[in-house]
Amino acid sequence: MSLKIAIVGCGKIADAHVEEIRKIPAVELCAVCDLEPVMAEQLAVRFSVSRWYSDLAKMLDVEKPDVLHITTPPQSHLPITIQAVAAGCHIFLEKPVAPCYLDAEAIIGAAVVAGKKLTVNYWPRFEAPALELGRLYEGGVLGAPVHVESYTGYDLKGEFGMAFRRDPEHWVHRLRGKLFHNMLDHVLNKITPFLEDDKPFIHAIAYRADSGPVEASSGDILDELRVVIRGAKTSAYATFCAHARPVGQTLRVYGTKNTADVDYMARTVVLERKQAFPSALGRLFPPFLMAKDYLRQGLKNVNSFSHASFHYFDGMRRLLEEFYLSIEKDLAPPIAYSEILRVSAMMDRIFEQVYPEAHG
Amino acid sequence: MKVLVTGAGGFLGVHVVERLLARGHRDLRCFLRDRGKVERLLGLSQSYPGSQLELCYGNLRSKSDCARAVTDIPLIIHLAAGLKGAPAELFADSVVASRNLLEALEERNDLSMRQTRVVLVSSFGVYGVVALGRGARIDERTPLEDHPELRDTYSYSKLMQEKLFWDYQRKVGFELVVLRPGVIYGPGGGAFSNRVGLQIGPVFFHLGGSNLLPLSYVVNCAEAIAIAAEHPNSVGQVYNVHDDDLPTASRYLREYKRHVRRIRTIRLPHFVTRMLAQLLEAYHRRSRGQLPAIITLYKAAAAWGGNKFDNAKLHALGWRQLVATSDAMAETFDYLRRKDGKQC
Repeated sequence: MSLKIAIVGCGKIADAHVEEIRKIPAVELCAVCDLEPVMAEQLAVRFSVSRWYSDLAKMLDVEKPDVLHITTPPQSHLPITIQAVAAGCHIFLEKPVAPCYLDAEAIIGAAVVAGKKLTVNYWPRFEAPALELGRLYEGGVLGAPVHVESYTGYDLKGEFGMAFRRDPEHWVHRLRGKLFHNMLDHVLNKITPFLEDDKPFIHAIAYRADSGPVEASSGDILDELRVVIRGAKTSAYATFCAHARPVGQTLRVYGTKNTADVDYMARTVVLERKQAFPSALGRLFPPFLMAKDYLRQGLKNVNSFSHASFHYFDGMRRLLEEFYLSIEKDLAPPIAYSEILRVSAMMDRIFEQVYPEAHG
Repeated sequence: MKVLVTGAGGFLGVHVVERLLARGHRDLRCFLRDRGKVERLLGLSQSYPGSQLELCYGNLRSKSDCARAVTDIPLIIHLAAGLKGAPAELFADSVVASRNLLEALEERNDLSMRQTRVVLVSSFGVYGVVALGRGARIDERTPLEDHPELRDTYSYSKLMQEKLFWDYQRKVGFELVVLRPGVIYGPGGGAFSNRVGLQIGPVFFHLGGSNLLPLSYVVNCAEAIAIAAEHPNSVGQVYNVHDDDLPTASRYLREYKRHVRRIRTIRLPHFVTRMLAQLLEAYHRRSRGQLPAIITLYKAAAAWGGNKFDNAKLHALGWRQLVATSDAMAETFDYLRRKDGKQC
């Protein structure tokens, strides 16, 4: 593999892209670009990237990258994708994919028409516990999925939270789903592998629970979201929560045989098994079986740590490896386009309900 | 003369406004981002009858807000900067914001550049102390940092910001005064600078030992800024800002523990800090960043290099320390006791 990689958009998340790209041998991060030269320069200098640009067309022309990572605000994803695929680039897109479903469809359409591959940074899906959950599901351990609960916590006082709260011109304020729009991909893309309906029933409620001081523009931002989803065979709850602590990220899949609990922060997968023993004995053993699962997961994590593969964005590194491999071997991209579109469609319908005024 | 103070609602900003009022300035435009920080400014307005505090809300990342801020202003005191957060945020808040402000200044046509003075509050972090060796004296002639990216993002962003101001000064021709404060502290500020040590989990690692702390009590620092802003001889000059009777890091920590709260501390001698830095750096490289390189040899030399400091040039301008360090520390610890003590 000897792909040339470039990044456009040198904001906060670009740091993570640079760090993960550099962990992959035999790919080269050749340049970074931002409309704001200061931002391009600081990223290039901090990470010793040899060249930086403030003109995307020039970077594409001079560097001729094989893959362009687009880490700009989502409002710009469509025009940049069109420009980049025309210049011969495959696309690695930061979430949220687009401001709306139609844009997401156009983005994927542009890549397909140009014969280029595209994927979206659904990195938690490639974390070790998520992959283990996938193996349990594929191996029939869970049975058929009955119900899924996807939970994502958020810290409004964290680096990302404060960034948009302080800046009334932050791109998050211009998204239809505002704060939810920036986070919901990660809540929903954990559900879609178990719920294959194109148009499930969706009921969403949202409210503002933050009673702290109102920064420049956070007054109209809703920060708690609950969504009920029902497909033909599977139902789901999607929760975005900015006030519960610790700030967690979990998934619970209720199957017809067993139930799995995934904790993305602690990196554990624990199985809640059907009772094998009668009466009180059946209630006696489960905690020990779960403790055994936790111990196994803990040891696995220690092993990962000792092998230096316990980074926060380890899932992104895995996703990138798969994506780059799909380019080199001309395989299907790691995330099906249909799934990306299903997530986008669900987001549109949720935002219609929680921010109806933005939909006229 | 109308004065613009950017970052007027911040920790230092409120005190700069107060010192300007105390020194007789009455017409101030206070530019601030967070509306929640306006109360103390309104209080100042009432304390100084006849003062006109124009509150100007906005974000310097916005070019139109910058244009609004600089209109009709002959004296700009630029304090606004990113202090913490993701690296991209620091650069956006310090460098991009400054560039927007300077562009707005360049593009305005109400006052000539010769009639305009800009006072930039930079930082000690811009000095290239690593190359000087342990114990070197820092004054305004000390060379600037060659490798700010090896140090910390804040220092890097402040160096880029200061260079930007000098570039624009040469290009546009306004009067520029630069102040480089050490560690600004006081009620409303934080408890510890990295120069004292680092809090890692439940333990505070005391790394500063008997090094002098270049403390600048927020009132004294604000006074220095006000004096430099007014003085006819400050044009084109740089001033280090720190107090006279500087404590050592160990004295500061000892008094914190005595007056604020007990904390678990481990004191590391400098040679141990350097060994630890080498290990951390090696592990950081080998593990490809699995643990952050919070201490490196470069950072250790920059933060805990046992430097001496010199504020003679500021004194020559007429600055005198308004609040003695013992009183300043007492006030600071009293504030921290009320704030941090509650968490115990």
